[in-house]
Amino acid sequence: MIETARNGNGKDVTETPYDGPMISIVGLHKKFGDFDALKGIDLDVNPSEVVVVVGPSGSGKSTMLRCINGLEQATRGQVFIEGIDITHRATDINEMRQKVGMVFQSFNLFPHLTAIGNVTLAPIKVKGMDQEEADAHGREILEKVGLGDKADAFPAHLSGGQQQRVAIARALAMDPDVMLFDEVTSALDPELVKEVLDTMKGLAREGMTMVVVTHEMGFAKEVGDRLIFMDEGLVVEDGEPAEVFNNPQHPRTQEFFSKILSHL
Amino acid sequence: MGILGLTALPVAGGILAIVFARLAKDRIIHSDQEGDGLATAGQTLGVISLVLIGLAAVVFFMQDNLKEFYEDFFNWETMRFWFPKLAKAFLTTLKLAVVSEFFILIFGLILALMRISRLRTFRFAAAVYIDVIRGLPLILQIFIIYFGLSYLGLNFSRFTAGVVSLTVCYAAYEAEIFRAGIESIHKGQMEAARSLGMTYLQSMRYIVLPQAVRRVIPPLSNEFVMLTKDTALVAFIGMSEVFQVGKEAMGRDANVTPLMGVAFFFLLVTIPAMRVVQYLEKRMGRGD
Repeated sequence: MIETARNGNGKDVTETPYDGPMISIVGLHKKFGDFDALKGIDLDVNPSEVVVVVGPSGSGKSTMLRCINGLEQATRGQVFIEGIDITHRATDINEMRQKVGMVFQSFNLFPHLTAIGNVTLAPIKVKGMDQEEADAHGREILEKVGLGDKADAFPAHLSGGQQQRVAIARALAMDPDVMLFDEVTSALDPELVKEVLDTMKGLAREGMTMVVVTHEMGFAKEVGDRLIFMDEGLVVEDGEPAEVFNNPQHPRTQEFFSKILSHL
Repeated sequence: MGILGLTALPVAGGILAIVFARLAKDRIIHSDQEGDGLATAGQTLGVISLVLIGLAAVVFFMQDNLKEFYEDFFNWETMRFWFPKLAKAFLTTLKLAVVSEFFILIFGLILALMRISRLRTFRFAAAVYIDVIRGLPLILQIFIIYFGLSYLGLNFSRFTAGVVSLTVCYAAYEAEIFRAGIESIHKGQMEAARSLGMTYLQSMRYIVLPQAVRRVIPPLSNEFVMLTKDTALVAFIGMSEVFQVGKEAMGRDANVTPLMGVAFFFLLVTIPAMRVVQYLEKRMGRGD
């Protein structure tokens, strides 16, 4: 599969509908100077699958996520999105990123634009959508995340939970095939976490392919199709969430869960 | 003795004015009433009174020299004759500053973008340019550029030569301001823009620059004030802006008054400009 995908850079793929994994990570290494952040990740994510990634801080979860849309460049190994190798020089990364939405821990909303401005900018500038169409589309999405009435508000006038939902809407406005969530509730006040998680649950129900780095174990259990535990740059455990929770195989997974579960 | 008697009045008046102003201000602050401006005016008057005392002292001690000084610096005959000519020359000064600033902003922004580019050649070229220019006195650059241009066979008018030298110099300074502004924008902004599929230049143009430019308006305005003052250096390549005209007038009439006129025109622009800068800084500081 990997061989055909590597050759099928664009044209071959469009002729026969692609039916492999949505994301395929092969032997992914990432070094920051002397530090090995990722030491060989292999992972496939199938369409409509919700993969939850957990692990101690510094285990490489965010780095892996950022490699999936090319915000970090792999030191070695490949990342395929719908069969196209995004680490290949000839691949247009800007085009690939349109398929991969990303939501950040710190929201990163554009503070000089209103909510609707945040949501419509990329469709207009990248997809060439006209203003009216983008506006209608954008308002629809804001409505979907429960912020139809906040379209004209600036980010500074929104709560953290609202800002994060605008950020989700902004990513959705590009009609991505995959959504990446990088600890999106970690910077939120506890009472605002639920509204963001509910929005994500809604997306999962609609069949969106999602990779979710999070510390929310409840979300992992309820929404995740798969749970991945990472430690020191490697995938240590990969299985059904309930299975991994109740019966972790690896000692480091056991230790991690015993630590956080004793908190709950 | 007469002087002392005259002095006692402003001393009493001045001190009283300051005391009253303070009281008024406190009262306004505590009871939220209007009238802050009046209180400030009282305070200012008090300060002026004290300055008058200083002047009285000067008059007392320098009675002989004073008349001469006055004749030389504030000769109304001379002023009346030169004032319109200075006013006209000052318009040239302003035109020089504004036209230069236009090119400085464009060139400065390009330099800043080169300075932070991922391409080493760009980064290196911009860094060398900025270092060399910032390491040289402006007056030296003006001479080198003026004579250099004529050797290149470019017969620029003095005005154009002035614009070119001011642009070459100030662009280096403003590039550093732009760069600081761009680098002060959290890198998450660029990442969010890129993650949506925007190119580097699109992200710069629609996300980073609008925020960065807003942030550097106060320091850029400050640069503009300095630029306006530094236009006087262009006089040395014979451009008849306000300083050059004032200097010639001084030579012709053997009198310093025209230079006081020049000073008047500069302050007319620079003081309000500095107030505006301060206002902008204050507003930004409030966290807009």
